[in-house]
Amino acid sequence: MTATTVEAFPRRARRWPLWLSSRAFARFLTAATPSLYVVLLLIVPVVLIALYSFGLKTNPAAGSATGFSTANWSDFLTGAGNPFRGRFFTSLIVTLAVSCIAVLGAYPLAYFLAFVARRHRYTILLIILAPFFTSYLLRVVAWEVILNNDGVINSLLWTLHLRAHGHAITWLIYSKFSVALVLFYAWVPFVALPIFVVLDNLDRRLLDASHDLGATRLTTFFRVTLPLSLPGVIAGFVFVLIPTTGEFIAPLLVGGPSSQLFGNSIQAFFSDTPDWNYGSVLAITLVVVVVILLAIFGRFINTDLTEQAAT
Amino acid sequence: MKEMNRRELIAAGAALGGAALLAGCGSSGSTSSSSAKTTPLSKRPDISKEPGHLSILEWGGYEAGGTPAQTSGMWAGTPYTKEFGKHSITYTYIVNDDQSLSKAANGGPFDIVHPCNEMLPSFVKEGLVQPWDTSLLPSFKNLNPFLVKRGQINGQQYMIPWDWGYASLLYRSDKIDPGDATGWELAWNPKYKGKVSLWNGAGSDMEVAALKLGYTKPGEMDNMTPAQIANAKNALIQQKPLNKFYWSSEYQQMQPAFKAGDIWIAYTWQDAYVSMKAAKLQVNYLNPSQGKLSWFCGFVLGSQTKNFFHAHKYVESFINHHACVQMTNLFYYGTADATTKAGEIQNPALAKQLTIGNPEALLASDVHLQSYQPNRSQYELAWQEVLAA
Repeated sequence: MTATTVEAFPRRARRWPLWLSSRAFARFLTAATPSLYVVLLLIVPVVLIALYSFGLKTNPAAGSATGFSTANWSDFLTGAGNPFRGRFFTSLIVTLAVSCIAVLGAYPLAYFLAFVARRHRYTILLIILAPFFTSYLLRVVAWEVILNNDGVINSLLWTLHLRAHGHAITWLIYSKFSVALVLFYAWVPFVALPIFVVLDNLDRRLLDASHDLGATRLTTFFRVTLPLSLPGVIAGFVFVLIPTTGEFIAPLLVGGPSSQLFGNSIQAFFSDTPDWNYGSVLAITLVVVVVILLAIFGRFINTDLTEQAAT
Repeated sequence: MKEMNRRELIAAGAALGGAALLAGCGSSGSTSSSSAKTTPLSKRPDISKEPGHLSILEWGGYEAGGTPAQTSGMWAGTPYTKEFGKHSITYTYIVNDDQSLSKAANGGPFDIVHPCNEMLPSFVKEGLVQPWDTSLLPSFKNLNPFLVKRGQINGQQYMIPWDWGYASLLYRSDKIDPGDATGWELAWNPKYKGKVSLWNGAGSDMEVAALKLGYTKPGEMDNMTPAQIANAKNALIQQKPLNKFYWSSEYQQMQPAFKAGDIWIAYTWQDAYVSMKAAKLQVNYLNPSQGKLSWFCGFVLGSQTKNFFHAHKYVESFINHHACVQMTNLFYYGTADATTKAGEIQNPALAKQLTIGNPEALLASDVHLQSYQPNRSQYELAWQEVLAA
């Protein structure tokens, strides 16, 4: 009598190679999609721009020969009186200033939403964010209408007889003021968001404990609320700093000749001249700066309030 | 499942980035620019087999009549839109000559481009255009031979001339001291700080600076030496603080600002002078002591167009007699149509004042025709340095 073995799970014939069902392949697939996204949409474009910056690719319309060259880099980094280098540092200062002012303007808004509005905070937040569902370009153009010499503000002043008709406040438009104002307006709600999130999630018992221990409201704010909200403040600061570094639309539309930013130079090289090689030098410089800024500020962003409260 | 750690991710990214770098190095730095091959008409597909939708690189305001984009009141192009539909054309816009070449080379392919004559050699050199078949343009025989000749390269008709005119400073005669309005130096006069607006156009601004500096020999402004380019650049940097803004769009920026009194002095073409007079402003169009700039523009045919016959019909709808007369009466630009008579111009005195009767006036002794700039890349870099200064 022959013993027979009954298999509980009879084997089926394998329809695909073993490696396809391996864990390594599954891990590869999981990582492939986001990696492909990062490579195709971030690394490859940056690499291409880098190639242009070293002359390894050229715009045919420029009529210049293709070949490795550091001449443009040398001119930008060390050329005597290079105006683009000067504009780079000026833009950085403007960007830092606008970011700081945006944070200072956004914090009270976030505080109001988190501690005052309470029940209605999300409704008010939605109302504040509603204009930002429209095109950024349209919102900047709208500011032209408001700030122009015969725009809303000047017309109102004439109507109220606060200024003689026809005598406009000319520095409202095409000036550093108009650029800063538009950038502030564009970014305050987005800066307020992360601050609001942190404040909204703040453990209120900490504030109660501070009051119970005799601290005034002001002391509680500076010794408890503000330190705990710093991750949100830094996140908001980074939110506005990074995109403003490459900003060019607001200066282009409402800025004057002396209020253009580094982003305008990059935009002009690519759209108004065929010299993509020099424009790429400026673009790569901006990328490097943004990466450095992210590396510096990234380490300060920590939203783990439990850990912070424990320390 | 084991997580991919940061080191592995960075290594993978570097490997992929390096692969992209090698692929980029290996590829040709220049796009293949097709040579201007002239295909016999018999070998071209019939017009009914062409895609039919034209892609045109154009200045704002010159869209074909009948299209939704045309708001200047221009009639030219109306026969085309009546035959092929008002939605049969897509316009991409240029705001200065430098953009025309850059966008044509990288944003196309375009069926038709409307550049000015100084850009023509570059368009041909880059293989962006092909010669027109003038036998398909019934109105071609009416065009002024002087302009027709200047649209030829190596005996082939690459540009169909259409419009010509001048560039100078438009100024408010009720705001500007007449003694100051003698030459291009008016734009440098600190008395009018914040009331000036030059065009954001590299080539033209460098030419203005060249004339202001006295580089007035024939062709000198377009063939400046490196030292002269540096001088022109420095002059423009000196002038920069006087500008309210550099305008890019004539109809969206410059003309509204001029009408509102935000600016009193602007680099412009003569159509703005006509518009401001129509708006009842007291204006003059400067005849600089150094001479004013002149230009002519026209249509070029894309080398990769699949709408060969449609493109010819489009241009014919612009160069026919009625279209040319109407354009002149609208903008007070000169027309390439040699059959236009003085009696057809609504304001003959204005036409005479602007000397738009004869295109050979473009080469008068007090006029500098904007021409090909062999050092254009240096002009453009210098202008960018002015903007960044």
